[in-house]
Amino acid sequence: MPLRTVAEINEKIDRGQVTVWTVAELKQRVGEWGIRRCAETVDVVTTGTYEPMEASAAVLNIGQTDPPLKIRQAWLDGVPAYAGFGAADLMIGASQPTEAEDQERGGGHVIEALVDGRAVALRAVGYQTDCYPRASLETTLTRETVNQFYLYNPRNLYQNFIVGVNGGERTLYTYLGPLLPQLGNAVYASPGALAPLMNDPDLTWVGIGTRIFLGGGEGYIAWEGTQHFPLQKRLENRTPVGPAATVALIGDARSMGRPWVRGCYFKHYGPSLMLGVGVPFPVVDETVIAACAVRDEEVVAPVMDFAIPRRVRPSFGLVTYAQLKSGRITVDGRPVRTAPLASLHLSLKVAETLRDWIAAGRFRLTEPVAALPRDRTFLAQDVVG
Amino acid sequence: MKKRVTLTFPRQVVQMPVTYRLAKDFNVAANIIRAQVAPNQVGKLVVELSGDIDQLEAALDWLGQQGIEIGLTSREITIDEESCVHCGLCTGVCPTQALTLDKHTWLLNFARSRCIVCEQCIPTCPVVAISTQF
Ligand code: SF4
Ligand code: SF4
Repeated sequence: MPLRTVAEINEKIDRGQVTVWTVAELKQRVGEWGIRRCAETVDVVTTGTYEPMEASAAVLNIGQTDPPLKIRQAWLDGVPAYAGFGAADLMIGASQPTEAEDQERGGGHVIEALVDGRAVALRAVGYQTDCYPRASLETTLTRETVNQFYLYNPRNLYQNFIVGVNGGERTLYTYLGPLLPQLGNAVYASPGALAPLMNDPDLTWVGIGTRIFLGGGEGYIAWEGTQHFPLQKRLENRTPVGPAATVALIGDARSMGRPWVRGCYFKHYGPSLMLGVGVPFPVVDETVIAACAVRDEEVVAPVMDFAIPRRVRPSFGLVTYAQLKSGRITVDGRPVRTAPLASLHLSLKVAETLRDWIAAGRFRLTEPVAALPRDRTFLAQDVVG
Repeated sequence: MKKRVTLTFPRQVVQMPVTYRLAKDFNVAANIIRAQVAPNQVGKLVVELSGDIDQLEAALDWLGQQGIEIGLTSREITIDEESCVHCGLCTGVCPTQALTLDKHTWLLNFARSRCIVCEQCIPTCPVVAISTQF
């Protein structure tokens, strides 16, 4: 039974009469209040996560120089940027390492510096054509002196993820950080039941065009993300048992700021970007509350052994996020301590910030303009020949 | 019990066989981690002292009486609060549970008294929020 439309929620936001809860507040109260009463009371539920998202990138249009330049190769603070499109367009990926050998930095740090308003050195080499005669350019850029600066992230917001362990004999340096030998630690990367898309397992209330919290500013869901895999096996509550849906996100980086956009580096693995992303769900009916009520006891992730370097790694089975967050899981009959990689603290803060924005009337909800694919299969690259 | 200290020797004490006296008089083993001692100059020694807790205390008192300056903060782990994003990754490699996450707020909690300055956490932190100070 429909309770309210997105348009009605937006009217309430404009009048300052909207009721917004974070998903953590909802999960806490729903046991006592029941789904129906929560659904009647709450207009919007906000979710958030804060985790490394290496498939993130910034697009810059630096503004044309005089005489004009068509960039062939470019470096921002020594980190190679991609220039294979418009003459003054650059894209810098979060996981691109710097060419300076003694530095543990990369694209994520350049993006952080620009977002923070710090100056970044640009070195560019031109093609020198009849219409673009300039040979090279060396200058400093800030977010205020470039023509455009936005994030375009091909894959963010993994619906769920894996847990990494190491059954081998030496420390492994991975995108989950160091994994200590002989099952010395287990690292999980998703905030579990707090993860935005765990609360909308079938992608019913989000889609292309959904306005979101991105890096402290406003952004949008642009497309399905790379590796989007909605057909992952699911539990009865429809949450996936491993990595599943992903989305591509876009947003004006000039509206972003600390601590929501942070360059990071994983020892012997490489650079990445820590990013805060928040998604609001309009409570259009009771099913929204029923889905958002899902608890850490009811969502699971597979424990994978990184000692076997294959695409399909052997799994030690599923554990719940309640077990993961307790600090200890049992793997192969042995107790293993766990550590998160997503910041649960800042994940909660993203949801709270978005809640406060909506309550203050500075963030309105959107309806998706198109649905995200729900039945896309996954093609792996099997090397032929 | 183990304790890491920085000992700063005034000129006149540099010649004294300190580690021998610590072992003989207090049964305290001194494992030298770093030394900067040149004859007739101020010397600096970073040592890890191990022994019975009372004897350790007595040994430190005696060192003080010799005019040796004792920096208990020889090497201390410092967490940059402004930089830490409370991801918790460091808590998984800390052998003493000096680093833990608060189960309610999920903020990083550092119990300095449990820290043995093994430095495992330093390269683990993805945002370089952990460092050692002398
Ligand atoms: S690994 Fe670094 S950022 Fe993460 S909780 Fe520890 S000190 Fe903070
Ligand atoms: S130095 Fe070692 S004991 Fe101290 S906090 Fe870091 S990992 Fe824990």
